[in-house]
Amino acid sequence: MNSVILTTVGRLVAALLLIFSFFLLLRGHNLPGGGFAGGLVAAGAFVLVMLSEGVPTARRLLGVDPAKLLGIGLLVAMASGFPALFIGKPFLTGMWDKTVWPVLGKVGTPLVFDTGVYIVVLGVVCMIVFSLGGEDAED
Amino acid sequence: MGQLSVIAIAIVFGAAFIAPWLHRRLGDKCGIVLGLVPLAAAVLYASMVPTIAAGGAVAFRSEWVPSLGLAFDLRIDGLSLLFLLLISGIGVFVTWYAAGYLHGKKDLGRFYLYLFGFMGSMLGVVSSDHLVALFVFWELTSISSYLLIGYYHTAARSRASALQALLVTGTGGLAMLAGILLLGRMAGTYRVSELNALDAAALVAQPGFAAVLVLILLGAFTKSAQFPFHFWLPNAMEAPAPVSSYLHSATMVKAGVFLLARLHPLLSASPLWMPIVAPVGAVTMLLGVAMGLGQRDLKKILAYTTLSVLGTLTMLLGIGTEAAVKAAMVYLLAHALYKAALFMCAGSIDHETGTRDPDAVGGLRRAMPFTAAAALLAGLSMAGFPALLGFVGKEYFYKALIATDGQGALWEILGVSASVAMFALAATAAWKPFFGPLLPTPKHPHEAPWTMWIGPILLGVAGLKAGLFPGISGGMLIAPSVHAVLGSADHEIAYKLWHGWTLALGLSGVTVALGIVLYLAAPRIRAASARFAVLGRLGPERCYELLLSGTLGFADWLTRTTQNGYLRNYLLTIFLFTAALVLWTLPSELSLPDSSALIPLQFLPVVVCLLIIAGAVAACLALSRFYAILALGVVGLGVGMLFFLFSGPDLAMTQILVETLALVLFVLAFYRLPLFSHYSKLGTKIRDGIIAAGFGVVMTLVVLAEMGAGGADMSVSKFMGESSLPLANGRNVVNVILVDFRALDTLGEITVLAIAALGVWAIMRLRPKNTEKGGDK
Repeated sequence: MNSVILTTVGRLVAALLLIFSFFLLLRGHNLPGGGFAGGLVAAGAFVLVMLSEGVPTARRLLGVDPAKLLGIGLLVAMASGFPALFIGKPFLTGMWDKTVWPVLGKVGTPLVFDTGVYIVVLGVVCMIVFSLGGEDAED
Repeated sequence: MGQLSVIAIAIVFGAAFIAPWLHRRLGDKCGIVLGLVPLAAAVLYASMVPTIAAGGAVAFRSEWVPSLGLAFDLRIDGLSLLFLLLISGIGVFVTWYAAGYLHGKKDLGRFYLYLFGFMGSMLGVVSSDHLVALFVFWELTSISSYLLIGYYHTAARSRASALQALLVTGTGGLAMLAGILLLGRMAGTYRVSELNALDAAALVAQPGFAAVLVLILLGAFTKSAQFPFHFWLPNAMEAPAPVSSYLHSATMVKAGVFLLARLHPLLSASPLWMPIVAPVGAVTMLLGVAMGLGQRDLKKILAYTTLSVLGTLTMLLGIGTEAAVKAAMVYLLAHALYKAALFMCAGSIDHETGTRDPDAVGGLRRAMPFTAAAALLAGLSMAGFPALLGFVGKEYFYKALIATDGQGALWEILGVSASVAMFALAATAAWKPFFGPLLPTPKHPHEAPWTMWIGPILLGVAGLKAGLFPGISGGMLIAPSVHAVLGSADHEIAYKLWHGWTLALGLSGVTVALGIVLYLAAPRIRAASARFAVLGRLGPERCYELLLSGTLGFADWLTRTTQNGYLRNYLLTIFLFTAALVLWTLPSELSLPDSSALIPLQFLPVVVCLLIIAGAVAACLALSRFYAILALGVVGLGVGMLFFLFSGPDLAMTQILVETLALVLFVLAFYRLPLFSHYSKLGTKIRDGIIAAGFGVVMTLVVLAEMGAGGADMSVSKFMGESSLPLANGRNVVNVILVDFRALDTLGEITVLAIAALGVWAIMRLRPKNTEKGGDK
């Protein structure tokens, strides 16, 4: 797929998609969005790069092995469950800080959990798409 | 003091996990350091001796799953303490012994991981007061012993033996679990101390108690290798010597005997106890020595005598009188001490000479003086020579048999015959290799390193000391354990080496005389036994093999029939099965909604629905994959649009994103697929059409039924909608459900997603390699 237009615009759109994915992740608790949708959009960004510039470039831009993303995401999501245990609540009970931060809004363990979901979804899609679009299927 | 019991188990498990690291740092010396861990545990347990000898118990309790009534209950009484000291004490010597026996092995760290895991599990089994915790530790011993027996995992025989041990003891363990659960329901408690304090006669009279008894006995019999489950134990001799020494002296195989003793106060009240347990024990006792006489391998000889001793202990517990229990406890202690030592000596002989055939070794006493001394002490105890603990044990054994009513002299004859054979086998295993003329062996014999003889010597000396001064061990260890097994403390228990000129002493004399005769005849018996080897192929082991191959064959057939590998067949199965289930239950609930409950037709949704239908039809008629994929995309996006129209923006967004990525995936997969080469036949098409349409109708009925019967139950939706902001700080209910209300479900789902991704990755990674290989050939 050697299209000049796609190559030129691809990265730009991918960057926009990434920003949009963060936006979805952060607003998810109150408005449509969330970690799952955000993760899919972020994955979409890397899929776009892969289609326009090939798997190696997409891998390089992602920077992390997708397999590691799976582990990191699961750990982040699981870690968000532990703070509740310290105050004697069941695992994964949501805990919130009431201050409203700029950009982030209210911060709490569910947001951390959602970030974990985001990372896992990004990892899953990238892993599947990269391996299907594998190096040998290039050119 | 209760915490000490947990700390002891914890340090042993802890040592298991640092063992591989320690081995990398220290090499072979790690074994000597690790040996200090069971030593520390043994010291902790020894500190409990005064409390328990005074009739007390050490207990620890911590809630585990309070909502299920499960607690982590440890309770150490006399019986537990006897076992704990044996497990930790012999554990020290086994750990040191392994450092010498397996020195230079690269995976020694892994070996210690298994060994300490096993040790910790055994400590857990004998100190648990809760039957469920006991079961968990019990299964852990099965698993860790599987790893230990299969330590030489490159040898097929070793793997097969390990699997056999696991399957036999594991199956028994499952039966035991069923028995435990039934017992818990019947008695209303799972705590051993409470069970043993119950009115046993009333409980035993309940209907169904026979099932409880048989199931629990199955667990104990498989673990302790009682006939007809005995065959796994001799096969487990494929394990390295330290493992055999540990598993078959004080630990693994004694766990079954321990369970019988533990639940003795309760279970022995059943009228079935004695008729089942005592004969099974007696058969095992005789079978063990009889088969042992025919063996040409020192370790196998010891294995069969272990079998015989386990039978003896089971028989004594089955008889269950005070004298019998007393005999069982002394015999158990004596056996643990001498058998651990003898297994280690046999291992040393194998290690230093290169053979384990009793007819091929002799006169090693000069080359291996320490090992010879240790073997001699242990062997004398095994043979039941005066002044050693084995003698005391045998005296009590005879006294218990003499005191048993009924059947005339049957018990005495059985007991004496087993002891005579035991004497001959003790001489074969402990005397024959070291005395007489020196025989040439594959390796030039020399003394084993100190790590390998220190343990047997000390164990042998312990047997001698306990025999000479039976009052000390008797008062501290035996009496409390007998009290625990009998469930009451009002028994006068005195221990003596010398009982006067009694019938038991007379029987001992007869035993020694006949034993010497049998020992002299032993080589001829071994030579003749080869002719009877065919009999072994007809025993219960054959049943095991048939059962195993039958199960594997059935599993193979079932997998090939149900897992045919065609996605279309799986889909057909799912659709038909779901439709059948729905149609079975639906008619009784179906009441179509009246038209007022339905939303009137609107222009936009109708157009979208038509688009979806058009997409579906186009996908079916498409002549190339590419068009089919595009048409399916129309269907997916249409569904997304419907979500939008009926105010589900989250769903719509996700649907559209998934649809987009699915399209990309399809296109990528596309590269790798062959062209559409053949199309379905007309008949298949009609069949598929009917199924698809039928399934659509069924799903429509489900939706209508949902709306019909007074509308759907909206209470859950209402609760979620109302409490998402106050309880979870979020206005987006869908997201709040995902990350807060049902976060655990989501955690499970993303784990599944991750595993699926790994699966795809693995398939894609492995496939090209395979084709390359195929190309090379």
